[in-house]
Amino acid sequence: MNTHTIDTSAPVISADAYDTTAFYADADSIAVVTNTTAPDAVALPSPGASTAQLLAAAQEAGRRAVPGPLAETALVARPLLRRAGLPVPDGPLGYAVAPELTIRYARPAASPVGSAGCSGDDDTLLVTGTLRRVPWARTATAVVVLATAPSGPVLFTLAPDRAVLAPGVNLAEEPRDDLHLAAVEIPAAQVRRVSPELLDEARLRAALARAALIAGAAERCVDLTVAHTTARTQFGRPLSRFQAVKQEEARLIEEAALVRAVVQAAAVPLDIGGPAAHFAVAAAKTQASASAAEIARIAHQLHGAIGITRLNPLHLATTRLWSWRDEDGDETYWAPRLARPLTATTLWPALTATP
Amino acid sequence: MAFPDVVLPESACRLRAEVRAFLDEERARGTVLGRPDSWLAGWDPDFSRRLAERGWVGMALPVEYGGAGRGFLERYVVIEELLAAGAPVSAHWVSDRQAGPSVLQHGTEEQRRFFLPRIAAGRCFFSIGMSEKGSGSDLASVATRAERTADGWRLTGTKMWTGGAHVNDYAIVLARTDDTEDRHAGLSQFIVDLRAPGVRVEPIRLMSGEHRFNAVHLDGVDVPDGMLLGQRGGGWKQVTGELAFERSGPERYLSTFPLLVSLLRELERRPATAEQLTQVGILTARLHGIRRLSLGVAAALDAGASPDTQAALVKDLGTRLESSLVDTVRGILPTPADPYATPGTHPELLAFALLHSPGYTLRGGTNEILRGIVTRGLEQHR
Repeated sequence: MNTHTIDTSAPVISADAYDTTAFYADADSIAVVTNTTAPDAVALPSPGASTAQLLAAAQEAGRRAVPGPLAETALVARPLLRRAGLPVPDGPLGYAVAPELTIRYARPAASPVGSAGCSGDDDTLLVTGTLRRVPWARTATAVVVLATAPSGPVLFTLAPDRAVLAPGVNLAEEPRDDLHLAAVEIPAAQVRRVSPELLDEARLRAALARAALIAGAAERCVDLTVAHTTARTQFGRPLSRFQAVKQEEARLIEEAALVRAVVQAAAVPLDIGGPAAHFAVAAAKTQASASAAEIARIAHQLHGAIGITRLNPLHLATTRLWSWRDEDGDETYWAPRLARPLTATTLWPALTATP
Repeated sequence: MAFPDVVLPESACRLRAEVRAFLDEERARGTVLGRPDSWLAGWDPDFSRRLAERGWVGMALPVEYGGAGRGFLERYVVIEELLAAGAPVSAHWVSDRQAGPSVLQHGTEEQRRFFLPRIAAGRCFFSIGMSEKGSGSDLASVATRAERTADGWRLTGTKMWTGGAHVNDYAIVLARTDDTEDRHAGLSQFIVDLRAPGVRVEPIRLMSGEHRFNAVHLDGVDVPDGMLLGQRGGGWKQVTGELAFERSGPERYLSTFPLLVSLLRELERRPATAEQLTQVGILTARLHGIRRLSLGVAAALDAGASPDTQAALVKDLGTRLESSLVDTVRGILPTPADPYATPGTHPELLAFALLHSPGYTLRGGTNEILRGIVTRGLEQHR
């Protein structure tokens, strides 16, 4: 197995190390990076890990810009498979919430009103449509898909090689691939009928995983910026001795702490589910997405020119912030959903609902 | 920088329900009006006494001194409930937050036996006498002097921004007792009876016209030996030791929360637009995050730590939110602010919060000073 590791703590990263397209092409190395116990890598959490531990691991993956779908696998795909009662495959996993897919039953039940595929002798499906910008699809051993079959919501697993893959990337050059499905047959053994709540849970899990990654990238911005302003000297003193720099740096530190706090605070509610989970996760992703711009702005401003080059690792964090804030729902998606149930009398109880 | 996420104990959750029931009674009585900045402007000694009867003033003080012996997180739950409801808590605020803990920690046994039961009964109200005309952020430059007399001290100087000195019973005054090379040494704290001869309280009107603050002139005020609080020369250490308590509490992000409640009440009267909901959601997310950070500091204090940097961080974030909330609310539902509108209506609450807003990021340490502490703190942690 390939043991390719990126040392994302290095102050200067060599050109081929961050040439992520080349690196990601080798599916094996992804698995190795996310599973390795090498000092610089993040260990994939054990199956028994708590939500708080999974969030901490996702945050660490975000901080180190781990080139693999650790958060997606551990916080989204695996728990959804367990909820649906499907076996959890090894290796990196992708996910997609896609109610817009066209789904029919492959073996329609004989019916007096004709066989339109609205129910089947078994749950084998024929799926048509496009899964857009699936994180890490090209490296995933399976993609967990939540969709709506004629009978209601279903969850199924899809091997990416069953689809036509159109490669794409986000600003950080992380794979975001489209998967085109033309009447792809999904065997009944890979399909489970699920409750509509599982679709909501999938969206919450995806949003929280993304928020945890943002919290990690924000922390990286703080680490790199404080290191830079204490080491770099201008006019005979470190940048950090200038009041104007201190003031901005404090705002950066504070905004990053805020994102971390909303992510941590969602761990217990996510396990509880219901309105508490909705509130905590909607707040977490709203805040994480809303803070990304300010965090990236200050980190770059205090880094000066070196920060806008690939000679410095700052871009690993800031390009991820700019991508992740939009993925799995940006602040304009989550903020109204956070606010809609709130009234003058329920706002404070909602803020204090979780002990 | 470490901020533990907090799970409140079961006892705190029960307490929250009790406080809400009490607040419902008080609303029916007409005392809890959902006003912003109620810890500065909501002066109601009878309310304070009824709160004390429930054991919710000085509640973290030991039972042997009349307190309730409750934990810091339980106190946190009580005060955040009171502030979110806009309850009038300013009469006992300083006694509860600072004077009580300070007397417990630094006071003599005699001082504890005298002051603490009175504080916990809601019958002894304190002001803070720290700032002076020439000493705002640079507190060590205070010029008020305490000269030794035969049986005590004679205090001379003028304290500024002394909230509630015209209605309260005592002030904790920071004065110079010794001229030392290190200007942080030589400062001491005194408990000064605000009715003592030589104390003259002069109103300083806020721009709203309200009388909350005063200049307190100390024209040779005799203070007995027994009213020196803590160590002679230990004043600086005592004052700075309280800062984490003063800076991280819910009053540093909830001062304008009642205005957001008022906005939601207004929005219920008509269908809210997507843009209005988005703005409310963004405010709510930020409030939630800052509350979790603030709870993290409370938990650290409860565990006996001194999270000064974290407290400064929370206060900068929280008070900036208090201030920006007012402008955001104005933008969500354009309303002409009107100080003479019927009290409690949205235009009046907006005017009140707006006129108070420059103070949020000044009081208890300006945000520029706080951000300096945050940066220094993080560099030292590395």
